[in-house]
Amino acid sequence: MTPIKIENPVIEVEDLRFYYGDSRAIHGVDIAFPEKQVTALIGPSGCGKSTLLRCFNRMNDLIDISRVEGKVLLDGQDIYDKNTDIIELRRQVGMVFQKSNPFPKSIYENVIYGLRIAGEKDKSFFDERVETSLKGAALWDEVKDRLHDSALGLSGGQMQRLCIARAIAVNPKVILMDEPCSALDPKSTARVEELIGELRENFTIIIVTHNMQQAARVSDNTAFLFEGNLIEYGLTEQLFVKPQNKQTEDYITGRFG
Amino acid sequence: MKPVYLKKVKRNDRLASWAISIGGLAIIFCVIFILVLIVEVSLPLFMSPTARQIARVESGFVSSNVQVLAVGMDDYLETAYTIDAGGTIRFINLADGRELEQIRLRPAEADKRLLAVENFGRLNHVLHWDDGSLSVEQVKFSPFYDAADNNRRSIRHTLESRGEFPAVPQQVEQSLARVNDEGRQTRVDLFADGRLEVQQREVTENFLGEEEVTESSEILELNGAGQLSALVLNDSGTQLYAGTATGELLHWSLEESGEANLVDHLQAFADQRRITALSMVFGDVSLAVGDERGQVSTWFGVRGDSSGKRTLTRIHQLTGHAAPVDKLSHSLRDKTVLSRSGDGLHLDYMTSERFLLGFNPPGGISRYALTARGDGLVALGENGDLLSWRLFIPHPEISLKTLFGKVWYEGYDQPEYVWQSSAASDDYEPKLSLTPLIFGSLKGTFYAMLFAVPLAIFGAIYTSQFARPKLRGMIKPAIEIMAAVPTVIIGFLAALWLAPLIESSLGSVFLSLVLLPAALMLCILLWQAARKLEPLKQVERGYEFLAVIPIIIGAVALASTLGPGLEQWLFAGDLKQWLFSELGTRYDPRNCIIIAFAMGFAVIPIIFTIAEDSLSNVPNSLKAASLALGASRWQTVWRVILPSASPGIFAGTMIGFGRAVGETMIVLMATGNTAIMDLSIFNGMRPLSANIAVEIPEAPVDGSLYRVLFLSAVILFILTFIVNTVAEIVRQRLRAKYGRF
Ligand SMILES: Nc1ncnc2c1ncn2[C@@H]1O[C@H](COP(=O)(O)OP(=O)(O)OP(=O)(O)O)[C@@H](O)[C@H]1O
Ligand SMILES: [Mg+2]
Repeated sequence: MTPIKIENPVIEVEDLRFYYGDSRAIHGVDIAFPEKQVTALIGPSGCGKSTLLRCFNRMNDLIDISRVEGKVLLDGQDIYDKNTDIIELRRQVGMVFQKSNPFPKSIYENVIYGLRIAGEKDKSFFDERVETSLKGAALWDEVKDRLHDSALGLSGGQMQRLCIARAIAVNPKVILMDEPCSALDPKSTARVEELIGELRENFTIIIVTHNMQQAARVSDNTAFLFEGNLIEYGLTEQLFVKPQNKQTEDYITGRFG
Repeated sequence: MKPVYLKKVKRNDRLASWAISIGGLAIIFCVIFILVLIVEVSLPLFMSPTARQIARVESGFVSSNVQVLAVGMDDYLETAYTIDAGGTIRFINLADGRELEQIRLRPAEADKRLLAVENFGRLNHVLHWDDGSLSVEQVKFSPFYDAADNNRRSIRHTLESRGEFPAVPQQVEQSLARVNDEGRQTRVDLFADGRLEVQQREVTENFLGEEEVTESSEILELNGAGQLSALVLNDSGTQLYAGTATGELLHWSLEESGEANLVDHLQAFADQRRITALSMVFGDVSLAVGDERGQVSTWFGVRGDSSGKRTLTRIHQLTGHAAPVDKLSHSLRDKTVLSRSGDGLHLDYMTSERFLLGFNPPGGISRYALTARGDGLVALGENGDLLSWRLFIPHPEISLKTLFGKVWYEGYDQPEYVWQSSAASDDYEPKLSLTPLIFGSLKGTFYAMLFAVPLAIFGAIYTSQFARPKLRGMIKPAIEIMAAVPTVIIGFLAALWLAPLIESSLGSVFLSLVLLPAALMLCILLWQAARKLEPLKQVERGYEFLAVIPIIIGAVALASTLGPGLEQWLFAGDLKQWLFSELGTRYDPRNCIIIAFAMGFAVIPIIFTIAEDSLSNVPNSLKAASLALGASRWQTVWRVILPSASPGIFAGTMIGFGRAVGETMIVLMATGNTAIMDLSIFNGMRPLSANIAVEIPEAPVDGSLYRVLFLSAVILFILTFIVNTVAEIVRQRLRAKYGRF
């Protein structure tokens, strides 16, 4: 395994083990994510990519039988510490889901949801944030005339971009994306990929994907997971061109998975 | 797929869709059929009355030079009679016009002539002879089967003399006489010189068994009233009313022999119109007044102020005539008033102010009489023809106004909404206002929903969003079992256990209404502080409620120990007494507090189940999206889950509402069923549903009450229909708004 040199790690994971009841899904992973870069998590189905991703904003807490051991440090602070405020954590680590899930509200209300629940009330601030977030998610031009229409009237690709806009509206440090393009057509996928490239200017992005080309196109670093273990982690160009590990090579050349 | 198999699948599919449509249509058909059935029973309430002429006996049977003064008919509409000025009564078979018999009323004095005949009661005639003497004759009819003639049925008539009044020397304008069953005779004479004299004769038995006769005679005080133009005496001869040519009404009480008392004298019509006819209305409480302008109004004494004195007040205005009213009379069965003018004969129902029937045969009506049962009318036309009609007046006392509006019933001091379908006395008029019942239904439902909706919805939110799955798996079936408890058991417990319990510890109940929320709030605050402590973190999520249970028990226990003391201290030991004297609300032991608890018990499972289902059916992805954006659990529930589940919650609430409106057994047992219109939570009520259950066994089939009960069923049906339709529309709207996932 090639240890890559990481300056300014935003998230550092130390010996993370994750259990669903008695079965262990993550077997001691150590990994760190550099600031304002895109890191892709790849691996065969069921290897624990989503599980690992959800550990970073503690979405796994919703699963009753789950248990975590080890440390996840956000800016040096362990997020599994008893004193961590989960709400504050989730405001710093946003998430975009595989299946777009806009609220049954207007486009406008969807974007400002995160601000509203934080107690924000200023209308002009809302207007400004809606515009910047939608522009940031490359959706502004398509919806600027129908901000107060229901978000459920958007196309699948637009909905996914709306979810991204919603996530960036609260200005998080990190954005987690779990297969954000798996339900989209190639055109929408290209749009979202382009968007990820733009977002990397301001955010640290961790993206799970099954699409090798996509990982190669959008990410700076790539981590390969297999059966709950981190097999290989390195710069994307290196990992795809010259994988150090046999399993990695098998996987990216499509011999299994 | 093999073609054979495909065919089979398709066939099954078709069969299933047929079966489903047939089932659905059958249900719709059944519901409509039931509705049609109940509407059909209630519809005759609004049928207009009809009259069918059944006989016409051509003129020529009465010699034209003898004037007919009165007519009458038996209850079977078979035999009529006429009394003419010559003092003869003739009985006529209406079927063939044959004269059955002729009787001279005073055979010994052949030259005596009759001046006038006045009718009262059941075929009683006061005969006013030309020498000033009066005699009271009653005609009686009974069916008779002639054994000699093949058991042929005929009507036998008899005449019975009920009293004689001797001649008076002076010229008399008008005389009235009554003989009542207690042997009291009353005679009133209006003399040509304007004097009004009353003579009373009473025969009583003293304690030795001897007959004692008291006689009195007095001239009545007219109190400066104008010329008397109409007089009427009630059937028992104790109340005398007079109208004047200048629109005044006078009322004397003749209750005490020889001590007539002018109890009322008023200017009834400001425009001084002539009062042309007076009559009592059946029951002898209301007075019908006809005037020269053709108007007919009814009056009775109303307590206007606190003195308790009743003054005659105009209550109802009946349909007017185009000509002056010259004769008024009344039915012996209900509050129907008959009025005659040059314009014809009208039948009006007093209380409902409904115009029932009008008769204006060519040639007019000179004499007329309604049968005792009120279903036949006999009249003598000016041309001497004897006409008779059979009347069909199904429900004269019912109109939309009496069903839904305020009605001024006899004996009431103002118009009111009253439901009182029966009473001890025979001449009692049923009061069938549906308004207090509709009010009762809505009131009971309102309090039940006030109690049930928050509990059910918050319970559903808790179980679906906050409770651990294991707990949820226990709570949900337990609450659903609540729905299976027969309502008769809930009603029984509410009436026999809860009602006395709450009544005896009213102070504690109110105290716990304050203490419980206070204790809960305190508990939550404490918990917020305590959750930072290490050992509590282990119990935290999903089991917080365990800490609440002892607090609730403690608060209730505290309330029940402090309650009596508090009652003693603040309300002099009796909260109920205090409510009555200070707030003016009566405390019924069976009241809306009990109803709220008991009906809530029946409604909560329905609302809870439907609300819980729709809350748990909100996609997890939405919940996750909200939480991932940093929302707390409560924010997620409030801003995402509740709006998304709102169609279901709303539907559950409305179904619960429909259930509460129609709920019968609980309200029947636990409300006291008094049809009052009072919003107070301390009173009971009588809802439509319980009313039907209470009254239908006593209601004579096809009577007014019976049909009104069916009408109330229709209203209940419509009420539920409206609630369900509104619910469905709102649900669709909410669905369209929050639906597509
Ligand atoms: N809620 C859960 N309860 C129990 N086991 C779970 C749960 N979610 C995931 N697992 C198990 O944990 C393991 C890792 O699952 P995870 O969803 O992280 O895989 P993944 O790499 O995201 O796969 P995919 O690419 O198919 O999404 C799998 O074996 C899965 O069966
Ligand atoms: Mg996954």
